[in-house]
Amino acid sequence: MTVPMNYYLVLSAAVFCIGLFGILTRRNALMFLICVELMLNAANINLIAFSYFHGNLTGQVFALFTIGLAAAEVAIGIGIILVLVRNFRDMDVRKATTMRW
Amino acid sequence: MAYEYVPAIAALPFVSFLLALVAGKYMPKGGAFGGIAATAGSLILSVLTFLQVRSNGAHQETLYTWVDADPQLTFGILVDPLSSLMLVIVSLVALLVHVFSLGYMNDEGETGLPRYYAGLGLFTFSMLSFVFADNLLMAFMFFELVGLCSFLLIGFHFRTESAPSAAKKAFLVTRFGDYFFLIGVVGILATFGTTQFAGAESFPAIAEQALNGEAEVTTFLGFDVQTWFTILGLLVLGGVVGKSAQFPLHTWLPDAMEGPTPVSALIHAATMVAAGVYLVARMYGFYALSPTALAIIAFVGGFTALFAATMGVVKNELKQVLAYSTISQYGYMMLALGSGGYVAAVFHLMTHAFFKALLFLGAGSVIIAMHHNEDMWDMGGLKDKMPVTYATFLAGSLALAGIFPFSGFWSKDEVLYEALAHGLNSPLLLAAWVMGLLAVFFTGFYTFRMVFLTFHGEPRSDTARDPHGVRWNVKGPLTVLGTLAVVAGFVNMVPVQKVLGISGIDYLHGWLDSQSGQFSALSAHHYSDLTHDFAHYTAGTLFGSEVATVLVSAGLSLGLALAGVGLAYFLYNVSRPEPHTENLGSVRDVLFSNYYLDEFQVWLAEGVTLPAARSADTFDQGVVDGVVNGASSVSLFSGDRIRRIQSGIVTNYAALLALSLVVLVVAFGLAGGWLL
Repeated sequence: MTVPMNYYLVLSAAVFCIGLFGILTRRNALMFLICVELMLNAANINLIAFSYFHGNLTGQVFALFTIGLAAAEVAIGIGIILVLVRNFRDMDVRKATTMRW
Repeated sequence: MAYEYVPAIAALPFVSFLLALVAGKYMPKGGAFGGIAATAGSLILSVLTFLQVRSNGAHQETLYTWVDADPQLTFGILVDPLSSLMLVIVSLVALLVHVFSLGYMNDEGETGLPRYYAGLGLFTFSMLSFVFADNLLMAFMFFELVGLCSFLLIGFHFRTESAPSAAKKAFLVTRFGDYFFLIGVVGILATFGTTQFAGAESFPAIAEQALNGEAEVTTFLGFDVQTWFTILGLLVLGGVVGKSAQFPLHTWLPDAMEGPTPVSALIHAATMVAAGVYLVARMYGFYALSPTALAIIAFVGGFTALFAATMGVVKNELKQVLAYSTISQYGYMMLALGSGGYVAAVFHLMTHAFFKALLFLGAGSVIIAMHHNEDMWDMGGLKDKMPVTYATFLAGSLALAGIFPFSGFWSKDEVLYEALAHGLNSPLLLAAWVMGLLAVFFTGFYTFRMVFLTFHGEPRSDTARDPHGVRWNVKGPLTVLGTLAVVAGFVNMVPVQKVLGISGIDYLHGWLDSQSGQFSALSAHHYSDLTHDFAHYTAGTLFGSEVATVLVSAGLSLGLALAGVGLAYFLYNVSRPEPHTENLGSVRDVLFSNYYLDEFQVWLAEGVTLPAARSADTFDQGVVDGVVNGASSVSLFSGDRIRRIQSGIVTNYAALLALSLVVLVVAFGLAGGWLL
């Protein structure tokens, strides 16, 4: 018995919204990274679900790419956060506003 | 063919210019000897060229191509009877003026001599290059360069107030004419693709073919070929009118007398002012195609001849009288060119170069003697003290007045004969002839008023009683030019030939007619064919016979000249002459103020041009710049507001992204019709 498509989509949408909500409300930069990770994985769920339903492996391949991309993004993100902490003694993203107008 | 040395004619004075400029301070006489040697070399080479042209015919050669594209822009030389004759005239007068300068500048202890001789050298170089230029663009460049030298030399005494102002005026007024000339050059280049003077590919030749329907040319602004050629001719004529001091751009020449007298003799009498007339003669094959341009040339010339002569009558300063007579004589040359008398114009150009240079140098001699006082009312009785100057000045004056058998008689008579003969079939030319004829009377009068006031009667001041002597370096050039002023007319005794039926004594005619082969289009008879075919000029006769016409014309001009001389003799050849021109009352005031033309031009500049320029400036500052500045302040202001979005807080960016995505999805949804 297969799980219907709708469930995957609802799950994916829910994870995406949780990630979006986290980005819009959190101040901690590490939480940002986690939330971005959630949103990317929401997209991955979609890709794999459709790939499975259509019998086409392209979506799964793309999911692999996305995971790789997410790893790279996290590496850069952690680097930025380290610099942020070094300069502002804090991980609050609202503090880093010295370069704006 | 051995014409390789022709560029050296111009190069020699250029070397003397460089020497005087760089090392003039260390050279004896401030570089004068270098200039004399260079112009003497130029004269020898010019005479050689002249003889070469006589035996081997004309020669044209491209020396350097500086834009190798279509159309090609080149420097080259064209030596034919006309230019080789002019080369001899220019280098001869330049040599004599250099020698004379020893007396006028060095002996008088002037400062700044290297600058002076550098100026003369550069001028001689530019003028000679202008003369042998083989295309109109090159001619234009050197035309500008002689204008520059004129500016530099008029302003030689730059510490005085009047000289720099006169220099500026001369520069600006001639530049005004040259502006049209430049447009004309560009127009000719665009129309014909060439500015060459000679050969089958030259612009006069192409123009002739185009009018005969044998060639195609590009005309602009929708004019037909004939009208377009007239427009081009008139544009070039703008430069001619400025440079040759024709009405209404003549006002700079009398002021140019602020320059040292040898400069006036060389530049503002014999050579540079002749550049305009020479240019018309050089491209006469083009002007001969346009009856309108010819008529305008003739009418402007005749009018200028009379107009300037009347002003010369009331002037008190020696050089002023000569300046107005120069304007008037160039008017005669234009009259001749406009009425189809190509040879007559060149003839008068030649004799005038000699006798007017002579008169200016004679005036210079008088000015040395008078300790630089130029007012004729302070002179008088100089003839016994300065016999050489008097004799040569008298010869020049007789030539200028056109008294038989001095050179001016022959050339002026031929000019007036051509105008009369062609004028009998064209009322406009006849009017120009009448003005030219009337000017003869005034010429005779003012010339001899000048002679009698300067040399005759009792001395009217202490300096005139005990004048400063002049040396060989003044008398030498005067004697050479004095001889030429007497005999130069015999090279073209057309009236004698026509009346007595002796053929072959019109040497100048034969000379200017002697081109053959590819240069036959530059010959005098080709020009008269052109004026006949395209401008419908035919020589008319009085009483049905050419001899009668010649006699009437010569008799009228000689009679009027004698009448003018006689009136001057009657009024001024007394021991204590009265200022009779005062009796003319308000007429004198008008003449003395040059018909208020200077005031008119100043008004034109200050009353018309300046407000127009101001309003254009206002428009530029307000509207044009306003639009540009407005655009920039709108973007500045909006940028200042919009940049507030960039808060630097990642959360806000994320919110904007998310909201924008939502808006985009909703918008697409509404547009696609699958939402609602």
